[in-house]
Amino acid sequence: MGAAPASRDVTSYGMGLAVPLALFFLVFFVAPLLQLLWLSLHNDTAGLHWGLGQYLHFLTDPFSLSVLGSTLLLGAEVTAVCLVLGFPIAWLYQRVGPKLQTVIILIVLLPLLTSVVVRTFAWIVILGRQGIINATLQSLGMIDTPLKLLYTQFGVVIALAQVQMPLMTLPLITALGRIDPNLDDASCSLGAGSWRTFFRVVLPLSLPGIIAGCTLTYAAAITAFITQSLIGGGQMLFMPMYLYQQASTLQNWPFASAISIIFLLAVLAVVSVFTTLGRLSRGYGGA
Amino acid sequence: MIMNRRSLMTTALTLGAMKAFPGLSYAQARPLVFATFTGSWEEAHKAVLVPAFRKANADAAIVLDPMLSVDQIAKVNAAKANPPIDVMLHDPGPALVAIGQDLVEPYPVEKSAYYKDLISEAQEPTGPAPFFQVVGLTYNPEAIKTPPTSWADLWKPEFKGRVGITNLNSTLGTGWLVEIAKMRGGSEANVDPGFKALEELKPNLAAVAANPGALATLFQQGQIDISPGNFNAIQILKARGVPVEFVAPKEGAIAFKTTIHIVKNSPNRELAFKLIEAALTPEVQTTLMNPPYLIVPTNSKVTMGGEIARVLAKDTAELKQKFVFQDWKKINEQRSAWIERFNREIKI
Repeated sequence: MGAAPASRDVTSYGMGLAVPLALFFLVFFVAPLLQLLWLSLHNDTAGLHWGLGQYLHFLTDPFSLSVLGSTLLLGAEVTAVCLVLGFPIAWLYQRVGPKLQTVIILIVLLPLLTSVVVRTFAWIVILGRQGIINATLQSLGMIDTPLKLLYTQFGVVIALAQVQMPLMTLPLITALGRIDPNLDDASCSLGAGSWRTFFRVVLPLSLPGIIAGCTLTYAAAITAFITQSLIGGGQMLFMPMYLYQQASTLQNWPFASAISIIFLLAVLAVVSVFTTLGRLSRGYGGA
Repeated sequence: MIMNRRSLMTTALTLGAMKAFPGLSYAQARPLVFATFTGSWEEAHKAVLVPAFRKANADAAIVLDPMLSVDQIAKVNAAKANPPIDVMLHDPGPALVAIGQDLVEPYPVEKSAYYKDLISEAQEPTGPAPFFQVVGLTYNPEAIKTPPTSWADLWKPEFKGRVGITNLNSTLGTGWLVEIAKMRGGSEANVDPGFKALEELKPNLAAVAANPGALATLFQQGQIDISPGNFNAIQILKARGVPVEFVAPKEGAIAFKTTIHIVKNSPNRELAFKLIEAALTPEVQTTLMNPPYLIVPTNSKVTMGGEIARVLAKDTAELKQKFVFQDWKKINEQRSAWIERFNREIKI
């Protein structure tokens, strides 16, 4: 109890307390990452000959580039679906009573309480030939033969969107909660309609949440090895599976390392675009 | 700050020393570590092989550490002089990698009481094969009334959109492609005919699974009705009530040797040898052949029975006749090129 001695510099606490985590990161994250980089700069699997061969191989190979492209595109699609479906939930959350709020937060968090594997298997049951969607459509007489939903891009996007939805909804709920509800009323009393209020007031003010949600969802979607391979199957190749194939089945660790480094840089590029947008939006929100 | 750092360093050093020194003494007298595979393999080994080994060796301490072949290789490679594993279990591809990287002790064949009883294909001086994995045709008997008899049946027009295969990441996928190539005049060195055949199979393909385990799910969901499949995996599905049947195609069922190896520089070499001996005994192999394990034995003294006798082979002579063994040394040479080609060409 009692106040800290005035002579003590309060900022020194922060540094000291960060040391364990920093050490942990250094040993278990930075060091392996450097090892990965070191390995990727070798031309042979034994790691004896230095060179940029692995990177050249990837960057000059249209197939590898198409795998990278389709993975980044997949992330964008999933993020877009999550944003479109998640925003109304977050918006609703701020406008209902406390009881319904508990229900909504439970529904949003529920997927996080079950393992990704379980959630993905549920999607196999839903999207399968005899799954819920096909059975319903067939019983309604809308289709004769079952639609192919499993092992398609559509299936992967839908399943990933559900699996990663909490990562989008939670930051949005926080961001929307910070907006002063009086601003809505002010906008209306000044003559703006609901849509105009939404696009000119609510949306810009919630941008930090949108950007945080998009970053999280995007990063999670493109690296979701389990969902990608179970719903996408063996012929839809995304970066995580490509990496696994090279590292595990083929034991070609230098190429696998190069793939990881390239993937990492590509993701960092996308994330930095998001953060730049975030910085711009902060200026916008404050204006 | 300085105090903090100093106390932190002391703590770290103490912790490090506590971790390191028991580790050093532990290495000299640690229990035998057997890296089996996960899932049904681990269950079978825990229930049958480990008790048999302990009974024969005065309750010697043994630890099962189930992991994939690749992880076994990586772990041993990381500490070659003092490996954390004494006995490894491998599919044919990884076995050759482990042998090639000099991680394996030759099996003391002359000391072994059971080695000479193994059928000749299972006798490997780098590490014998205590079990076979068998790949044949799997089908849903509710959807397919006449049982398939040949790999060529997968191409039948009535199976349009009903066939499942796996990609080449798995031993099963690669072995199957080689067999298809052989059927069309190719070999382990030339799988071109196999890729051509795959191209013709495309209209029939409902799914290319990422691993053999996923095929099981696809059968359960009615996504596919026929596929190449692993005998043991099918028995597990069948036991759970999924309508699936296994047939050995007339071209022969593909047999993979699962080999067991003493790790080079193992501190428990003698016990490792004893464990492998236990895995080769007719008693252990007979128990593992019976339900619920249904693992195909390699010791010729084992009398075949049950489901294995019914769908695979009644005795060793028939087994040798009906099983096809592949040259994985040849396969490994080009496997990465095939995987790359499969990635590019097989899009459905």
